[in-house]
Amino acid sequence: MTKPKDLVQGTLDLLILRIVALEPMHGWAIAHRIRQMSSDVLQVGQSALYPALHKLEQQGWIKAEWKISETNRRAKYYSLTRPGRKALTEEAANWERLSAAISAVVRTV
Amino acid sequence: MSRWLTQFRLALRSVFLRKRVDQELDEELQYHLERQIREGLNTGLTPEEARYAASRAMGGIAKSKEECRDTRGVIFIHDLLRDLQYAGRNLRRSPGFAALAILIMAVGIGANTAVFSVVNAVLLKPLPYRDPGRIVTLSNVVRAPAGANALAKLISVPDFQDWHDQSTVFDAMAYYGTRRVSVTVGTSAEYARLTRVTREFFRVFDVRPVAGRSFTADEEKVGAGAVLVSSAYARQHFVEPSHALGQVLRVFDRPVTIVGVLPQAFDFPDGTEIWFPATALASPSVTQRTANNRLAIGRLKRDITLPAASAEMTSIARRLEQAYPQSNSGKGVALTPLLDDTVGDTGAMLYLLLGAVGLVLLIACANVATLLLAKATGRAHEMAIRAALGASRSRIVRQLLVEGLVLAIIAGVAGLVVAVWGTRALVAIAPAGVPRLAQAGVDGTVLTFTLCVCTMVSVLFALPPALQVSQVDTNDSLQASAGRTVVGGRGRTLRDALVVGEIALTVVLLTGGGLLVRSLLALQQVSLGFRPEHVLAMETTPQNRQRSRALFTGLLSDVSVLPGVVAVGAINAPPGNVDSTSTYWIDYLPKELNLLTGPSTVMSVVAPGTFNALGIPLRRGRDFREGDTADAPRAAIINESLARQAFRHDDPLGHVIFCAFDSLEPMTIVGVVGDVRQYGPAVEASPECYLPYLQHGFNNETLSIVVRTSGDPGLLADTMRQKVHERSPDVSVKATTMEVLVGEHFAAPRFRAILVALFGAVALSLALAGINQQDSRSPNVPKLYRVGRVGNRSKNAQEGNEWDKNGTGKHTRARMKRHPSWTPVIQVSKANFTVKPGPMLDKTSCRSERREAPFDQPNVRSGFKVVAWTGILATDLLVPELRRLYVACTRITPQQKLIMDGSEESEILPHQEVTGLFCWVPGRAFLGENGEIHPRPRGAPDREDR
Repeated sequence: MTKPKDLVQGTLDLLILRIVALEPMHGWAIAHRIRQMSSDVLQVGQSALYPALHKLEQQGWIKAEWKISETNRRAKYYSLTRPGRKALTEEAANWERLSAAISAVVRTV
Repeated sequence: MSRWLTQFRLALRSVFLRKRVDQELDEELQYHLERQIREGLNTGLTPEEARYAASRAMGGIAKSKEECRDTRGVIFIHDLLRDLQYAGRNLRRSPGFAALAILIMAVGIGANTAVFSVVNAVLLKPLPYRDPGRIVTLSNVVRAPAGANALAKLISVPDFQDWHDQSTVFDAMAYYGTRRVSVTVGTSAEYARLTRVTREFFRVFDVRPVAGRSFTADEEKVGAGAVLVSSAYARQHFVEPSHALGQVLRVFDRPVTIVGVLPQAFDFPDGTEIWFPATALASPSVTQRTANNRLAIGRLKRDITLPAASAEMTSIARRLEQAYPQSNSGKGVALTPLLDDTVGDTGAMLYLLLGAVGLVLLIACANVATLLLAKATGRAHEMAIRAALGASRSRIVRQLLVEGLVLAIIAGVAGLVVAVWGTRALVAIAPAGVPRLAQAGVDGTVLTFTLCVCTMVSVLFALPPALQVSQVDTNDSLQASAGRTVVGGRGRTLRDALVVGEIALTVVLLTGGGLLVRSLLALQQVSLGFRPEHVLAMETTPQNRQRSRALFTGLLSDVSVLPGVVAVGAINAPPGNVDSTSTYWIDYLPKELNLLTGPSTVMSVVAPGTFNALGIPLRRGRDFREGDTADAPRAAIINESLARQAFRHDDPLGHVIFCAFDSLEPMTIVGVVGDVRQYGPAVEASPECYLPYLQHGFNNETLSIVVRTSGDPGLLADTMRQKVHERSPDVSVKATTMEVLVGEHFAAPRFRAILVALFGAVALSLALAGINQQDSRSPNVPKLYRVGRVGNRSKNAQEGNEWDKNGTGKHTRARMKRHPSWTPVIQVSKANFTVKPGPMLDKTSCRSERREAPFDQPNVRSGFKVVAWTGILATDLLVPELRRLYVACTRITPQQKLIMDGSEESEILPHQEVTGLFCWVPGRAFLGENGEIHPRPRGAPDREDR
């Protein structure tokens, strides 16, 4: 229900940054989009999502503003900031390296 | 950078707009929930099912909210604020406890702040001069044969000149002498404090006149008449400092012009109103190395350390010893930082008081700790609930510490009020001669001190109970019926230890106070050798020197016929104010005068009738009489000590005595009088020799007319002043009573005794209150505790029960009666784990907190009762003493003090050539191991020039 067990610690941040990079989005939409894009493999519950969002906001990587949502309600939309974009590139590169390394190890065995 | 800004902005937002931030979080999560439900509906669930599914999918909202809040990083502040709120509520809930604890701490903190504000003003504040650390006083060190060196502050002018010319470590060096003189402003004469200074004096302090200028080289020549005055003096006499310039005063029987006014802040030596060039007054003693009658001060060069300067001065002194073995052997130089010199041995007394008052604070802390412990034990249940709700131990300790801090801060504020009042009281009852006391008050340093004390004591008294209570085993505590928590062995031990500590400290204070009171009483029982009651002493200084003898003779006969006057006399220094001492010889003069090593005697000049007026008994022979004039054979009267010392069992009458006073003429001993304790009740009487006023010169032409009256001597003062001014208008007079003068001997011991005894009394009442609580706490726990105060509201509600006054459902109480072991707490714990936790438990626990009376009221009452009774008792014992003290204090002001000191060499008539002889009294008149009873209070700079 909370953090997906197979989600490596820290990668949630990367996922959020990646998703938010597309367009400003509210929390539910982010969770929804992650699920969609991972073909229902990655399910992020609110209990993990919102603390992560708030933490990223604290770090200044994303910023929040209140907008009217597609359901005609007020919702908090998160968007990427300039430092966030930089962090995203770095994190993504890190992830690529790490996953490639792990894949390499796993495949050879 | 921008990241910090963002964080800072968000932190500010979450601190100051906390409600809104929390609302937004709620809204955000709410939105999430709605979307979740909507999604459920879209997949074809019924609204009920969708809601349920969404809630399940969401998980614990409260927890994630908490996590979100945690990410803000200001959770500490929130907790602190919440703790503060909670602490405030808690104190309000038990006002009796709060009032008692605050009262106790306010007394402790207030007393400490008051004493500290005095310590701060007297000992800690830097002197108000530029770079004051470089200013040092120079004094003689007399090497005693026993090896103990004695400091003699007075130095001689030739020595000073050599120090000045040979040393390289000083920027400036000056000597000065200060005393009260008669000054005529316009037509009226009055006393003013005058300091004679040398050229570099103002450079030592780096001070410049605010109006006018300093002395020119011409004005420092003999016979010149220019003076500088203090701002206060200028304002007092001429309204504005600038108006004072060019005004003419009359002093030393010559007109002098004010050429400059010194700044308000400059006050050295203490209380000086007029500064006069030392070199403008001819003085024969400036060439005598034995005439130690000046004080010296200097400013060290910037990079010179005190030891380096001392080393150089010591080598100079050694050279002088070799060059002038007769006068200088055994004489060294000592440098003392001006602050140390100013403070003198006042420091010891103040630190004693600070220590005593610190003990009171410790006792107060132990006391409040006991109170809190009693209260906290009652709150064990509450703590257990908090722990069950997930509060960590540190969180609970922190909350209790915050409560302690709130208590301490409130007490601190109340204590400041006590301190402001207490500081004034301390200043009022402090013995005269404590330097810089007038500046005592609550300032920034004192406030910081109070804040530190508050923080420190809050930890001291809140930590032990906090640690103890936070240790409570949740399970045990919840299982035990609410409030019936057993005081564990550890809690008892801690409280016992606190009470034992309290009593021990109290015993220390009471013993100290008792000893001081005992010695004060012993001092008061010592006979001084004269009867100070009903005696008025009026210091009288005629401006016109030639006619002074005639004036005094006339005045004495005028006063003797006044109604109510029993006896009249005049003396150059009333008992207790030794004016001069000199070496004496009996029957013949040795070839080589052993001025330094010969036996010495106190010298006084008196008019006939003085012994009668002062109540000094005449043992043998006769008093002086009108016939003892300049033409008659020289006569002298000695006291019993001198008779014993010089004659053993022989009859002294008819023998001849020589004194190195104003001449070495032989004087016939015509009488023997009783001993007077000149140096105060704690010091044995010393040999004394009295001379008739018509045969000898006396300092500054000043006599104190002493009058024994049948009624209140104070009533006579105005009449006498009138009599004096009828004879001559330009005579300065200052009246006081002998009792007041004598009272000064007791001022310091009394001050210490009263304060330490007072602290002891406070400590005793606190300790008694502490023991009382300890007793009343055990063994029967107040009824309120027996009733479980936590009920299961939902259950009661279901059964239609209402909460009654005790917060216990009828149902619950009924069951308690039937099953004494039944504990409502179990239901709470059941509720905790079975029913939806949040709001339900919150209410329950709140209810339980509100209903609890952890600190039982009888305790508070008995505590107050003990404090009140001890207060009454202490007041009863102390009030008479305090009243006497008050009377004495309000009657003595420094200005009232008769200081008959100060021989002006140039004014001594008629034999000037030997005037320097009597001035050198190594380690005798100026040194006081027993500072408080010494006739010459520390801080010789503000004493008279000899």
